[in-house]
Amino acid sequence: MNLQGLDESLVAAAQAGSSEAFSRLVERHQQALRAFLRRACGDWALADDLAQETFLAAWPRIGRLKAGASVRAWLCGIAYRKHLTARRSAGRSRARDAAYEAERTSPAPGALDDRLALETAMAELPADQRACVALCLAADFSHAEAAEALDLPLGTVKSHVARGRARLLVALGVTDDPC
Amino acid sequence: MTPADDRLKALFAQSQPPARDPAFQAAVLERLARRRWLQDLAFLAGLSAVGALALWALWPVLQPVLKAVSGPLAPGAAALAAALSAVAILGGLGDRAHAVES
Repeated sequence: MNLQGLDESLVAAAQAGSSEAFSRLVERHQQALRAFLRRACGDWALADDLAQETFLAAWPRIGRLKAGASVRAWLCGIAYRKHLTARRSAGRSRARDAAYEAERTSPAPGALDDRLALETAMAELPADQRACVALCLAADFSHAEAAEALDLPLGTVKSHVARGRARLLVALGVTDDPC
Repeated sequence: MTPADDRLKALFAQSQPPARDPAFQAAVLERLARRRWLQDLAFLAGLSAVGALALWALWPVLQPVLKAVSGPLAPGAAALAAALSAVAILGGLGDRAHAVES
C-alpha cells in the first residue's frame, strides 16, 4: 500500500471512530505539521503547542475530510488558522517584546550564522508569505497544495513564494544563479 | 532546483522535528482522552440535571401513584434490589479474578 493509500485507510478508520487509526495519523504527520509551525511562527515551544491543538481540533472534524484529500495539507490548513488566531491574541505582548528587542543592541550581521539569519529573515516576512515559504520551499508542497491548505488564491501563493524566497536569499547573501 | 534552493532547503532542514516522537504523540492522545472524558462528564451531568428537573416537575403526579403501589410492590422490589446487588457484586469479583489470572 502506498503512503496516500495508507492515509486514506487510516482516515476511513478514524472516521468510523478508531482512535488507534487517529493515533497512527498523529504519528505519521506530526513531523511535517510541527516543522511547518516552527517555520511559520518561529517559536518552537509555541509551535508544538499549536500542533497539539491542531490534532485536538482535527479529531472531531475528521468526518468532514473528503476522500482522497491530502491529510498533510488539511492539517497544515487547520494549523495555519490556529497560528493566525494565536498571533492576533498575542499581539499586545508581541508589540511589547518588539519594543524590548528594538532597545537591545543588535549583533553584527557577521556574528549570526546562516540559520539565525534565516530565522531572522523569516520573522520579518508577513505571516501569509512566511506560511507560503514554509510550505513550498521547506516542505515540498506544490503551489496548488499550499493554496488549498492556506485558503489563498494560487497566484497569491506563487507571488508570496517568489518574494519570500528573494528576501531570504538577500538575507543569506546568496546569489540566485541557476545550475 | 538551483543551488540557492538547495541551500535554503538544507537550512530549513535544521529545524525539522524527529520523524518519530512518542512523547509528542502520547501528549496529544492524553489531551484527547481528557477532552473526551470531560465531554462525557458534561453529557452525564446534563442528563442528570434534566432527569432531576423532570422528577421535580412530575413529583405531584407521581407521588400519589407511588404511594398507592408501594405497599403491594415493596417485597418484590426489595427482592429484585437484593438480586441485582448480588449479580453486580459477584460479576465484579469474577472480573477481578479474571484480571489477576491474566
